[in-house]
Amino acid sequence: MEFYRILVPVAGSQADEGAIELACSLAKQQSRSKIFAVHVIPVERSLPLDAEIKPEIGRAEDILGQAEKIAQEMGCVVETDILQAREVGPAIIDEATEREIDLILIGVTYKKHYGQFCLGDVLPYVLENAPCRVLLDHQIDV
Amino acid sequence: MYIIIVGGGRLGYYLTRALLDEGQEVLVIEKDAGFSQTINAELGSVSLHGDGCEVATLEAAGANRCDIFITVTGDDEDNLVACQLAKHKFNVPRTIARVRNPQHEKVFKKLGIDATVSTTNLILEHIKHELPSHPLMHLLDIQEKGLEVVEVTIPPGSTCVGRQIKELPLPQDSILSLIIRKERKPLVPTESTVIEAEDQIIAVIRPETENELRAALMSD
Repeated sequence: MEFYRILVPVAGSQADEGAIELACSLAKQQSRSKIFAVHVIPVERSLPLDAEIKPEIGRAEDILGQAEKIAQEMGCVVETDILQAREVGPAIIDEATEREIDLILIGVTYKKHYGQFCLGDVLPYVLENAPCRVLLDHQIDV
Repeated sequence: MYIIIVGGGRLGYYLTRALLDEGQEVLVIEKDAGFSQTINAELGSVSLHGDGCEVATLEAAGANRCDIFITVTGDDEDNLVACQLAKHKFNVPRTIARVRNPQHEKVFKKLGIDATVSTTNLILEHIKHELPSHPLMHLLDIQEKGLEVVEVTIPPGSTCVGRQIKELPLPQDSILSLIIRKERKPLVPTESTVIEAEDQIIAVIRPETENELRAALMSD
């Protein structure tokens, strides 16, 4: 399977590292592959969408910096972007559509909510609305 | 401009779509989770599931930075409460409420709602316009100034036909601002302008003087 444009949404979780590594491995199989790492900052409605939320932006820069570092260690280049949106799921889908992505790769942890396995709100939305293939990467040792 | 709409029924949905097309930032607050989801799926993340009459919901909606707050639920009481919260708790500069029962309009105005839209009255005005027996039509309410713009068509048998404007017993503070005559250019009347049958007159008046204007221009 060939993927030329891979989108990796990163949230600052432990699973991000594995997702970036996997994206690099897949990208290396094709000479023209590109990796895009994005971090979405959800903006409360009490603020305008383009509000400058400094602590969040600083955190996003750290997360994306880490993603770049991992990719660099694997000999890949990753294009990074910070997005501000009301909701994370639709922002990822819009980004995938705009950039004509052919794979969305997301690192997941085994989250439990009230003792039950829970995917949260973002992943089900992405799975339902993605315009391309979606790969969920769960690492057992994470 | 940030606009909050309470009520995501058909009216709220189409209103949202039209305002989004104009490039406005819009949020719809809808009580029904299913309706809210449908709006989000079709129009993007523009709907918040919640009760527009609750402070917590309005806070989450960012009512504090809202420019226009519109309520279009099917319930006049909900529309009033939501608008009042927006006005007094969140200092929204402009509130507009849909009123289903036209008799409630006065109460809404007394309680500080900036503008009301009564679908019953709107339809009634259109019907009046189509009927020759109703020659006075409301065109616009300028509520903050306590004025309204009306259109009067002069019946052929009216006593004002052939008389100058200065001779007419017009209500105090009323202004005849424009006369539209058949197959002629509209004219801005002066005190010496003579009224003709079937003149369409655009007048600015106080709502309470409507009957006086009617008597001055339309009595036989």
